[in-house]
Amino acid sequence: MNQGLRFTRDQNRKNLASWLLTTPALLWLLIFFLIPYLIVIIYSFLTPDIYDVNFEFSLDAYRQALGADYLKTFFLSFRLAVLTTLLCVLLGFPVAYYIARAKDKLKNTLLVFIIIPFWTNLIIRIFSWRIFLAYNGVLNDILIKAGVIGAPLEIMRTDLAVILVMVYVYLPYMILPLYSVLEKLDFTLLQAAMDLGANELKAFFRITLPLAAEGIFAGSLLVFIPALGAYLIPQLVGNQKSLYLGQVITYKIKNIPRNWPMASALSLILLFGVAVLLLLLFALYKRSKARRRV
Amino acid sequence: MKRINISQFYKGFNLTAFSLVMVFLYIPILILIIFSFNDAKIITGWRGFTTKYYLQLVENDAIKEAFRNTMLIAGLSTLISTIFGILTALGMENKRFSGRRIVSALIYIPLVIPDILMGVSLALLFNFTRVNTGMLTVLIAHITFCISYTVIVIQSRLEGFDYSLVEAAMDLGAKPATIFWKIKFPLMLPGIIAAALLAFTLSIDDFIITFFTSGRGFDTLPIYVEGTIRRGTITTINSLSTLMIGFTLFLVVITKRVRKVLISSL
Amino acid sequence: MEEIKLQNLSKQFDGFTAVDDVSLNIKSGELFSFLGPSGCGKTTLLRMIAGFEIPNNGRILIGNTDITDIPPYKRQVNTIFQNYSLFPHMTLFENVAFGLKIRKTPKPEMNDRVKDMLKLVKMDDQANKYPDQISGGQKQRIAIARALINNPKVLLLDEPLAALDLKLRQHMLIELMNIHDAVGITFIYVTHDQSEAMSISDRVAVMNHGRIIQAGPPDDIYERPNSIFSAYFIGETNLITGEVCDIESEYVQLRCPDGQGSSFEIDSTFHFNPTLGKEITVSLRPEKIAISRSKPRYQDDINMLRGVIEDILYLGSHTQYIVRVGALKFRVFSQHKRVYFDDKALDWEEPVWLFWHDTDTWLIDQIPEEVLSAKEISEGGVNHLSRSAKRQSIT
Repeated sequence: MNQGLRFTRDQNRKNLASWLLTTPALLWLLIFFLIPYLIVIIYSFLTPDIYDVNFEFSLDAYRQALGADYLKTFFLSFRLAVLTTLLCVLLGFPVAYYIARAKDKLKNTLLVFIIIPFWTNLIIRIFSWRIFLAYNGVLNDILIKAGVIGAPLEIMRTDLAVILVMVYVYLPYMILPLYSVLEKLDFTLLQAAMDLGANELKAFFRITLPLAAEGIFAGSLLVFIPALGAYLIPQLVGNQKSLYLGQVITYKIKNIPRNWPMASALSLILLFGVAVLLLLLFALYKRSKARRRV
Repeated sequence: MKRINISQFYKGFNLTAFSLVMVFLYIPILILIIFSFNDAKIITGWRGFTTKYYLQLVENDAIKEAFRNTMLIAGLSTLISTIFGILTALGMENKRFSGRRIVSALIYIPLVIPDILMGVSLALLFNFTRVNTGMLTVLIAHITFCISYTVIVIQSRLEGFDYSLVEAAMDLGAKPATIFWKIKFPLMLPGIIAAALLAFTLSIDDFIITFFTSGRGFDTLPIYVEGTIRRGTITTINSLSTLMIGFTLFLVVITKRVRKVLISSL
Repeated sequence: MEEIKLQNLSKQFDGFTAVDDVSLNIKSGELFSFLGPSGCGKTTLLRMIAGFEIPNNGRILIGNTDITDIPPYKRQVNTIFQNYSLFPHMTLFENVAFGLKIRKTPKPEMNDRVKDMLKLVKMDDQANKYPDQISGGQKQRIAIARALINNPKVLLLDEPLAALDLKLRQHMLIELMNIHDAVGITFIYVTHDQSEAMSISDRVAVMNHGRIIQAGPPDDIYERPNSIFSAYFIGETNLITGEVCDIESEYVQLRCPDGQGSSFEIDSTFHFNPTLGKEITVSLRPEKIAISRSKPRYQDDINMLRGVIEDILYLGSHTQYIVRVGALKFRVFSQHKRVYFDDKALDWEEPVWLFWHDTDTWLIDQIPEEVLSAKEISEGGVNHLSRSAKRQSIT
């Protein structure tokens, strides 16, 4: 709504106060969040050196990053993110639904059970899987003793292990937003649907699912984007022959010989991909909201 | 009766999924805890009960130093980012604030970017400015990623704030400073504490950003653990992990308790 | 058309009996109400008819078809939910079309029927809106349209007017009656509001503690309650307890203690044979009592009592008095049919005469006490002295 006068004196004062209050954080983030990305951009156009960068302009980093060599890396990470997100939705939905439908007292306890692993240190959780899945680890031990398999399964150091542990780590990030949406769901709507002739399955697809869409959406975002840049899990349980994007970037920064321009270029491409995804989703979201305004 | 079976089937399905996921989530952790008492250097069957690896923990100087570093960083970054969070959230209360968009953008965008990018960008920043990596750089990094979270948590608590309380106080003659410290701040406290707890947890848990900004000399617990796992010397890691899990449980319980106390005291 | 038969329906939840052996036949095309306080089981009963609760015992039949084991989506029964339960993510059109869509009705036919239904409830110009954009009363109408479009045999209404304000409620009540007349199917209505139930129903079933206390046309229940519960749950009444001291051909006489040591006698016509000496309660509706400063002329079939005005509530069209007779309090409604401006109005503490026809005192054939709680018996009506209290005053 437009007003003739822009700001009254009182509003001016309040505005100034807000500026004063937010400037510290604003400055901090400008310096330590925004500007570093500018440096990344700069570095992506330089040439690498063993320990550092040379301030010589070059497009090599981008040529390689966008070339055939790294296509596999991008594909692997994308595939990982998609699979992880999908599995998290499939596993997380019934869990979130179950908790949402539980009696109030039980709800809190169940949520705590989901949150505890969530708060446990990431590395420990990954480590516990290494023990579990190892060649001479617990899972194989049990399976062999139970006579299910003859020789130990080689799950560790495979892509399967990576997906497994990814889902393990990211599941709570899907369950919690799903739960918060399902919890607000009015279950009498399902009864109304059944009253009107829909059986349980139809009621689920026509009522529950559309209304839970927002939660699936939020959860997917919280899983997909971090999954794209995953480093630790592929590093600790993955097979080191095919590297994921996070690993490649890390190697180029940390390992000798360094290649920071390459790392920067790859990072910017990742950033670009995420930005495009977010903009797409935002546009979709706006469109679905606009449709309702008829 | 046929019909009960169908809706019970769906309930059963959900329950089964729930149980499976619970098992999935907890079995590895439980195994970890059990094996921390196992008298064996590597994980192969159960050899015998022992607490010696816990004792070894106490004697391990590297771990103790990493622990100290983790706590120091977590404590400082929590403090500073929470202060930033309070100030910023208060500033954002004003709906007509002309800087609203910029501040919001800078707060929300870091949340939707993979954290490896923040690690990379900070590493490059420190390289460019020739700052040596160590405690200071790690602290800066932690504060940076914590700010977004503290602002959001405190902001969401402020949203439900009942302004009629402020009006009542003004009606009774209180000055703005009094109103803030005696009314607003106490009511913000649960949100502030929640924000601080969140920042603390994020800080002690962080690996990748610390990894990029810590350099060689400065280890936090996650860095240390990862290094040990990579190098394969895992004897004390089980016991360390169990302790950390215990610490997590402790934190969760504390959070619930604190919340209950605060809610009841209001 | 078809009768709805409820046969020995029972439902327990965790040991709590919500519906206790209810049997009833609802005539086809009737507007039938279940009326009772919260927790009396009326909603559970409705949900059993809809199919959302499975009875522990008993059957439900529509006509000759036993529907007890049929799931809700296969019954030809539709429900109007208390908060309407309109699907928030669908337009009003899509909401109303839902039942048809599920049944895979061809599009042109579906469109026509939805349009007609929307016209019937006067919402045809808002078809593309969403539920959060319309008012309570409008949601109500869409809920009705959504249900009726499926041509159910029975329409169930679960406290449909509870969420509306007073004026709207009155308006919607009439609309519901009109829709019922237009459509002609059986309506089963559940409410705790007795004026709703009384005004629109062909028959009412008064429920308490999972049982039907009394069922019949509204005037039957009002004028001829079969229990203290029915008497005081509907409208206001005076409950007077007395001992049968004389039985004549046209009337019985009761000696009623006035709570202060003495007693008075009242005559009442009777519809069952009381035993001499037995203690009986009568119900006397306040509007049946006349109040006057001067003593009325003696008549054979008129009861007369002397009392003192304790409270006056002037309500415009009528005045409510509380009159003390001994320790008993009588509620009297006096309609102002004609106003004589030079007449002095009755005042507090004024001595007055109360008088009424003996045909207006209704003997209550007490139903077993197990169905009524002790609290209800002692609090029934304005002046009912509980048995135990009476026993205490004797000893």
